[in-house]
Amino acid sequence: MAQIEHSAAAHDDHDHKPHGFWNRWLTTTNHKDIGTLYLVFSCIMFFIGGSFAMLIRAELFKPGLQFLDPALFNSMTTMHALVMIFGAIMPAFVGLANWMIPMQIGAPDMALPRMNNFSFWILPFAFTLLLSTLLVPGGGPAGGWTLYPPLSLQTGKALPMMIFAIHLMGASSILGAINVIVTIMNMRAPGMTLLRMPLFVWTWLITAYLLIAAMPVLAGAVTMLLTDHFFGTSFFNAAGGGDPVMFQHIFWFFGHPEVYIMILPAFGIISEIIPTFSGKPLFGYDAMVYATASIAFLSFIVWAHHMFTVGMPLSSELFFMLSTMLISIPTGVKVFNWSTTMWRGSVSFEPPMLWALAFLFLFSIGGFSGLMLAIAPADFQYQDTYFVVAHFHYVLVTGAIFAIMGAVYFWLPKWTGHMYNMTLAKWHFWLSAIFVNVLFFPQHFLGLAGMPRRVPDYATQFTDWNMVSSIGGFGFGLSQFLFPYLIWKCVHGGQTATSKVWATPIGLEWELPSPAPYHSWAEAPSMATLAHGAPKHEVEG
Amino acid sequence: MSAEARVVMDRDQRRRVRRSALLLGLIALVIYTSFIVHSVLRGLR
Repeated sequence: MAQIEHSAAAHDDHDHKPHGFWNRWLTTTNHKDIGTLYLVFSCIMFFIGGSFAMLIRAELFKPGLQFLDPALFNSMTTMHALVMIFGAIMPAFVGLANWMIPMQIGAPDMALPRMNNFSFWILPFAFTLLLSTLLVPGGGPAGGWTLYPPLSLQTGKALPMMIFAIHLMGASSILGAINVIVTIMNMRAPGMTLLRMPLFVWTWLITAYLLIAAMPVLAGAVTMLLTDHFFGTSFFNAAGGGDPVMFQHIFWFFGHPEVYIMILPAFGIISEIIPTFSGKPLFGYDAMVYATASIAFLSFIVWAHHMFTVGMPLSSELFFMLSTMLISIPTGVKVFNWSTTMWRGSVSFEPPMLWALAFLFLFSIGGFSGLMLAIAPADFQYQDTYFVVAHFHYVLVTGAIFAIMGAVYFWLPKWTGHMYNMTLAKWHFWLSAIFVNVLFFPQHFLGLAGMPRRVPDYATQFTDWNMVSSIGGFGFGLSQFLFPYLIWKCVHGGQTATSKVWATPIGLEWELPSPAPYHSWAEAPSMATLAHGAPKHEVEG
Repeated sequence: MSAEARVVMDRDQRRRVRRSALLLGLIALVIYTSFIVHSVLRGLR
């Protein structure tokens, strides 16, 4: 069984933290430190990506061109997406995985700690490279995050920089995913069988397999873009016998699983929070595991619903329409199980539960608009309108981001040993929940009325809802400053947190003291500890 | 590596960790290559 070995030097320090800033953070192989690095990095990227969104909403506040020329506007939409997807959401989930997976499965650390350090430190270089494209001649990438050729091949000097940055992000994600799988499959405490793992661990295991299957596909696609641009190949160049639509197929074969990479860990988080604040174990644990696996499988056979209007045989449209609709079954199982967990439970409304409840309602709105988009004939109307923008922001902001916020408010006392300011945390939640709907709900109306996405200017009939949406955007953006302030205050003081933190927490992490020791589970948890912390309360000694 | 604790495993566990990590890396590499090879073959048809 894996254990922790302490060097003599480390014993000088009570909690075995390495001394010195650089030694602690640059060369760290500790899963909690690397988790913190990922979370801090993701928070910085969230504000950078958010600042791009603020510029977009300022420009769209009224018709006409105000602040940005069209090329820069297009750069902002592209960079906003790339930064938020690859810089904010994905690293946040990897940070949470680093912090929580070893603690939840009774392991001392991740299985490959040096590779863990390497996975993280690739990211700052990748994003420095990506963001610096805004300063090169020709400006940053402006063809949308989907990088469709031939438009993306018209990018200036930013193209190779962006492609290298994407390769780096992909390498980081794949290495991180390998680490997660190897850790979960090899480092679980004795008695922690697969079907006794917490749901967060399960959803991350499945997500890691998705990452390994999907990220190389994106890498292949952008490699071919690179050779088309610099080495005279014609993979996607119709003039040379290539096929630009093939890029769309390859991109979305990556792109749709990518959506689930950003939402499955969120499902895991919600499955941890709701039972804790309902005073009941999760309803239908096994069904939740199988539903997650089903969603992951289906995510690989629905990709062309992103490109119904590109032209494909009717049979293909039917297949992709129906397979997409099938996803609503396992997703419905999840929503049903979360609701049933709360049914007749002793529900309390602390900040993590508020985020989880908002997730439940608002993510469902994103799911329903997704079903509308899955209907091929209707999609011909919705394609490339603000309806699509509204849909995926309900999925990614009120889905993924809300779950990340909930997770931080859930586990922060365990990480820091302090309770945070509950009143301020509730203010953060309510301001976010109200403004996010003011921001994104009117975009459904704009889309249905025909407003196209990725435009810096628009017809005057769209003015009112754009103004409302922009006001919501500024409100949502400003309210996010409460989040780092609250975390800063919590790290540096506050009421001492108990080891359990909440009234009825379930899981091994709550068997550790708060703050969690620098090295958790130096020895594997006993069967009694495991039984107490098990998600289903049914482990037998 | 810094002067902090490291995870130690028995030989069997270490072998399993290395083997599964290499296998997963190889799978990623095969997927990456196969998409490019598929596109090349499609172009040659």
